[in-house]
Amino acid sequence: MTAARERASALTRLTLVQACEAVQRGEVTSVALTEAALDAFKAGDATINASIALDREEALETAWGLDKLRKAGRQLGPLHGVPLAHKDMYYRAGKPCTCGSKIRRAFRPAYTATAIKRLEDAGSITIGSLNMAEFAQNPTGHNAHFGNCHNPWHLDYCPGGSSSGSGAAVAARCIYGALGSDTGGSIRLPASMCGVTGIKGTQTRVSRYGAMPLSFSADNVGPLARTARDCARLLRTIGGHDPADPTSSTEPVGDYEAALDGDLRELRIGVPTNFFFDGADPEVQAAFEAAMKVLESRGARILRLAIPHMDAVNTYASIVSRVESATIHAQWMRERPQDYSIQLSGRLYAGYAIPAVHYVEALSRRGPILRALGSEVFGKVDVFATPTIRMKVPTLAATDIDAGAPGAIEAFGVISANTRAINYMGLPSVSIPCGFDGKGLPIGFQIQGRPFAEARVLKVADAFQHDTDWHERVPVRPG
Amino acid sequence: MSTNIERQVEEQAKVWSGVAPPNAASGNFTRGLTEAIQGFERTRGQLGFEDEPSSFEAALQETKERTP
Repeated sequence: MTAARERASALTRLTLVQACEAVQRGEVTSVALTEAALDAFKAGDATINASIALDREEALETAWGLDKLRKAGRQLGPLHGVPLAHKDMYYRAGKPCTCGSKIRRAFRPAYTATAIKRLEDAGSITIGSLNMAEFAQNPTGHNAHFGNCHNPWHLDYCPGGSSSGSGAAVAARCIYGALGSDTGGSIRLPASMCGVTGIKGTQTRVSRYGAMPLSFSADNVGPLARTARDCARLLRTIGGHDPADPTSSTEPVGDYEAALDGDLRELRIGVPTNFFFDGADPEVQAAFEAAMKVLESRGARILRLAIPHMDAVNTYASIVSRVESATIHAQWMRERPQDYSIQLSGRLYAGYAIPAVHYVEALSRRGPILRALGSEVFGKVDVFATPTIRMKVPTLAATDIDAGAPGAIEAFGVISANTRAINYMGLPSVSIPCGFDGKGLPIGFQIQGRPFAEARVLKVADAFQHDTDWHERVPVRPG
Repeated sequence: MSTNIERQVEEQAKVWSGVAPPNAASGNFTRGLTEAIQGFERTRGQLGFEDEPSSFEAALQETKERTP
């Protein structure tokens, strides 16, 4: 390896927070970080196919401007000079935004998503858009229009979806952080499958203005990055009320990074005795239990307890987003169904026959179920933890519905069972890596807290990362 | 059951939304609805509508993390 390549590789291995600090101290320029990221995409994309579009010239021009500002003693914010790339469903005025679809291939929104604007106002550089499941609607990373995204740990395996490019690009050290979106697990599934950290906040925590809608009741905007600390910085930047999204919460956003003190003494961690381990793979269970031991060694107490109403949660969660996405896509499903992948049009189609009374029932039970959770679970524990995914990472071939892979539809349901239940509850949830299976694919677990307890779940995740190095492992860069 | 549900879905989608089965695979997704239907059957009587006005957003506030 040449000295220049070694230098670039060292830069891309920094965490987001380390990269921010290096820029701040003048140890590295934003131009150098941006060039390193763009080169990493160039090297990795041939195999993992993580990006949809990169804008080299504009990114470098912005980086140059940010370097000039810093030299003049000015910093825009806590992300000054650091390159990011985002799932291709966040609107940027005048820029193509495909949503991973053929239907929106030529779509150029007239306005910019609030989350993107907040990240850029904090000094980050958007260098491009990332691959994703078509209209954010599969948990595996298949994409019939832009090509499948691949897991950087093994190219035959799923990177997870729907924020597939976000998970793969962060894991492959192409980019320091990326926005994903999470309606049924679409941040946490690629985080788990690719071995990175990803958080969805409490429902309503982050503005959805300018984010492609999938399901108004369950959509969440959130980041994927290398560490819990990176996610804390990104979530704090994008969180908070936005007048452009009246559904966003006015609850104050805390200083999440300040809460990361590693102290888990007396923290009570619940481990469910029902639902979340049904049919779980033994290797996943073993990695999860080992993770609980790590947390115990920091002073946390593990309590086994039942989560109430899980049968109802699982049933209701399975139809809410299906009905809402069918509604959103109705016109296109009438006029150009052939422009969808087989998997997505088939999934949407079933949504048109779910009776409204059941949809309303599903929505109406969210409040009572959340209150039951508040007393029966969070009256006893501070957070609860589960495997993010019950099964090991599957191959792309075994889950290819368009190719007619047997059992693929059922596998989709198993992959997202643990995550979509949390979306229905509306809780903050962070997924972090906790091991590898026998084939070398990552395993993750997710931590949930009360509504608006983002600081607490990030604190647990960060403490875990103090004592483990799963999040530091880097796949051999494909290509 | 499978054939029946597929026929019902086809009729509902056509009558209410003007959407036709897009491909053969859609039948597999349609058959998957039987699991949801069974789930609804099992939950009958467990939870009901609340008499007082409330909402999910209100429940988020009621159950949220309280800082000391």
